Amino acid sequence: MKKDLPTRILKFLASLKLAVIIILAIGVLSAWGTIVEAQYNSRIATKVVYHSIYMVVTMAALVINLIAVIVDRYPWKRHHLGFILAHIGIIILIIGSVVTYQQGLDGSMRLAIGGGSRHVMLPQTDIVVWATFDGDRWVKTYEDEVDFYMKRPTPEKPFVIKAPKGEVKVTGYIPFAFEERKLAASEEKDAGLALRFQLQNANINMSQWIQMPKRKGPPSVLNLGPARVVLHTGDYKPSGENEIVLFPSKKDPKKLDYQVYTKRLEKVTATGKIGSGDVIETGWMGLKFRALKYIPRAKEEVKFIPRDRPTEITRAAIQLEYKGEKHWLGKDSLLKFFTDSSAFIVSYGGRRVDVGFELKLEKFNVGRYQGTRRAASYASDVMVPEVGKVNISMNEPLKYKGYTFYQASFSEDEETGEPDASILSVNKDPGRWLKYLGSALIVLGCIVMFYFKRAFRKKRKS
Amino acid sequence: MIRLFLSFVLLLVAATGFAKGQVDTSALKYMPMQEAGRLKPYDTFARESLQLIYGKSKYNGKPAHEIIMTWFILPEAWAKKPIVQIKRSQLKETLKLPKEKSFFTPNELFMNDRVSLAFQELAGRQKMKEKLDPYFQSVQRLQNQLGTFRTITAGDAFRIVPQKDDDAWLAFTDSGFPHAVAAGFQVVARTFIGAIGANLRDSVSDVDLKTQQEEFNQAVAQLMQLSKSQAPDKYPTVSDINTEVHYNTLDPFKWSWILYLLGVLLLSIAWYSESKAFYSAAWITFVLGFIMHTYGFYLRVVIAGRPPVSNMYETVIWVSWGGMLFSMIIEAVYKQRFILLCGGIGSIFCLVLASLAPTILDASINPLEPVLVSNFWLLVHVLTITISYSAFLLAFVLGDIGLAFAIKDENKHKMKIVNISNAIYRSIQIGVVLLTAGTILGGIWADYSWGRFWGWDPKETWALIALLGYLAILHGRLAGWLRPFGMCAAAIVSFSLVIMAWYGVNFVLGAGLHSYGFGGGGVQYVSGFVIAHMIYVVFAIVARQKGGGSSGDVAANEAT
Repeated sequence: MKKDLPTRILKFLASLKLAVIIILAIGVLSAWGTIVEAQYNSRIATKVVYHSIYMVVTMAALVINLIAVIVDRYPWKRHHLGFILAHIGIIILIIGSVVTYQQGLDGSMRLAIGGGSRHVMLPQTDIVVWATFDGDRWVKTYEDEVDFYMKRPTPEKPFVIKAPKGEVKVTGYIPFAFEERKLAASEEKDAGLALRFQLQNANINMSQWIQMPKRKGPPSVLNLGPARVVLHTGDYKPSGENEIVLFPSKKDPKKLDYQVYTKRLEKVTATGKIGSGDVIETGWMGLKFRALKYIPRAKEEVKFIPRDRPTEITRAAIQLEYKGEKHWLGKDSLLKFFTDSSAFIVSYGGRRVDVGFELKLEKFNVGRYQGTRRAASYASDVMVPEVGKVNISMNEPLKYKGYTFYQASFSEDEETGEPDASILSVNKDPGRWLKYLGSALIVLGCIVMFYFKRAFRKKRKS
Repeated sequence: MIRLFLSFVLLLVAATGFAKGQVDTSALKYMPMQEAGRLKPYDTFARESLQLIYGKSKYNGKPAHEIIMTWFILPEAWAKKPIVQIKRSQLKETLKLPKEKSFFTPNELFMNDRVSLAFQELAGRQKMKEKLDPYFQSVQRLQNQLGTFRTITAGDAFRIVPQKDDDAWLAFTDSGFPHAVAAGFQVVARTFIGAIGANLRDSVSDVDLKTQQEEFNQAVAQLMQLSKSQAPDKYPTVSDINTEVHYNTLDPFKWSWILYLLGVLLLSIAWYSESKAFYSAAWITFVLGFIMHTYGFYLRVVIAGRPPVSNMYETVIWVSWGGMLFSMIIEAVYKQRFILLCGGIGSIFCLVLASLAPTILDASINPLEPVLVSNFWLLVHVLTITISYSAFLLAFVLGDIGLAFAIKDENKHKMKIVNISNAIYRSIQIGVVLLTAGTILGGIWADYSWGRFWGWDPKETWALIALLGYLAILHGRLAGWLRPFGMCAAAIVSFSLVIMAWYGVNFVLGAGLHSYGFGGGGVQYVSGFVIAHMIYVVFAIVARQKGGGSSGDVAANEAT
């Protein structure tokens, strides 16, 4: 018996074979995604796998397969109930995800303690140009969403940004860059000076930089407990403490002149010249002062070092080219360009969305596990317009004007270790109820299918 | 009963004049202290420290609470003893330590320049927030070992005095440590040394021992009283401390696997001899083991003050509990004997694993990450997902047995294989319903805590992949592709997805929001286990084709 074409197509689309192939395909794709996530991070796994065309096609095939199999079983009998519920549930769940993907918002808000914000940071990345002609008012002249991870800019195929005058090209991209600030020799006349030194005796061993950022400026003083180290280019009056005073030597540009002032004797106890590698015997409890590296003209350079994998402290960086000059720019920062008559700023960073109201962080509380620095709980006291003070804690979010604010984490001051800002995750998910509905149907369907099947069958037999 | 037995042995030994009574130092175990964010009896701290540093819970047969105390009293002597366990040969190589040894003295490690270099390198990694590979995990472990040894010998670890106006307890080294307590501790230390000394010497009279015992117990009681008086409301109750020491001493999970093992033996006899008496005896043993298992679980809940499913060790205990529960339920319905047998084997395997691999499966009770504290949905979703693993574990062991019969003689054991495959089908059904519900509950939790239903978090994603694998099996069975033999093979193969979701995500992938459960090690053993089973399945398929015995599949599965 030969069936007509539409029936045969329906039979194929509704076939178990196709279903199993799709199930396995989703499994394989997801597994691949978790491996990408382990190697990089969740954002890249989402880009490369979970939101990729392969996943979309597989999901579409699944929906078609599910619809076809439900249609194929028509006219439905009572014993189909569980099967239909579970399969419709999956379809609704997938529709819910599409709604979330298209209309949802998933970002974060950083609130400094005592400060406020009305902006949510989103995962999307934008390039924005602001221009000024009088140096006073700034106008947005360009805005575009970019995804350099998937579409890499190269010198041959640059990404072009329209600037007020001419164009800025993005010619390079480092997805995971570690930003290193380094003191390096410079040719510039007004560049300052820097010295890396080591202080050492039986108890102490420390090495450190001392730097004057500007050549003509106030002396730079480091108070290191047993000794003060001073670097200057003009005049300096001894403070009366144990002190090593250093200044550029007029005779030898590669060396520094030094004076060692000893408090106990109330006088300068040693003078001389010191260059990279030289040692001063201070005479204070065997303390040696060793010049490790002297840079007569030093400037701080920012370098973006590519890493293979992202970490918490890496970020993306792009290379901008304007009028033949190249500059590197890290994500979430900006660069100022000057033309003959005007100036403009190129910003590269996550998209900020104005939610239309301002939240203020009044207080932030961290509960610690007894006797440790480990956080046991944390909560933000947030001032919400028209509502007043609201406490947002780990599992007690704030729902306001369609957004939900969750206590996600907090940042700590690097020096004191005390929290300085609260980080809220901000979310709007119009697809949520579809997902809950779909989930409920799936679970219900499964239970009906597995545990009432026998009852139905027995009934049919009798 | 055990104590009775022991005292009987002691009496016997004493009678022969060989050895003599001992001063019991256990009173010390009950001394409360604050460590790693919670209050615990000194016994727990001593066990955990000895386990961390020495890798065993006893040293030369001496209990941890005695050993750790002697570390504090005689630090120089212990610094010269090989007590620091280093397993990883790569680390020994870097530190230029002899490869054939696995224990090193604290002194040789403290003096070793390469150790500090390795620590610096580790600090560099940590500063760059890079993921630690197994080598650096072993460096970190060494750092913990030496750090803990140092805090014990220096006395920083013994935070035994609560403060009125601060949550942190005071250790001997803290300024403001009450003199009275310090004096009280000196008495404890003196009587402790006396007791240890008396236990080592032969020529101590029973009267002396008794005096020593009384003195020691009184000194400890006095010390605890002095500590408590500093801030009585912050001192834990006697019953809390007793419960934890009781849990430590009883080791309930060891007893449950021993009982399960006995049950498996009785059941095997029952199976071969078709004896009803042995079958009933096996049931009783299993129920007793299960009660012990449940009791241990209950104690852990009481001690931790939360449901214990927050790390690998706890889920292993929980999954074996669930496996036993499901096998008892299905056995009660079908009365097939082999179901209970498989459940028992699975549980024993898990429990033995949990007690054999303490460095990988950390048994200590630790505080939770903030996001996990008092969260109803978390609890429900983790419990549901992990208990679904129990059902899959049962299916897996059943599959192993089924294939064994198929390899032996498929035609002869046709009915057995069909029965086994039906039990597998039941287990997978239970597992699929639970895993579906658990995965969705995970979505609800994520929505509740993070504001998104599904975030492609690796742990959740792998639970989904495992679910998809089992769904493929159920659909394949429905389509008639998987016959009894196929079901057995599929139950084994698909369990590797569960292993990946359960163990692999934390120990192999090591990424994602579920990072609280992360640890290292054991990858080679687990992969070996999985690969061995894959070979087993392939072997069964090949053997079957050679035998030409596909006739076993004629006995079709339960009509659908």
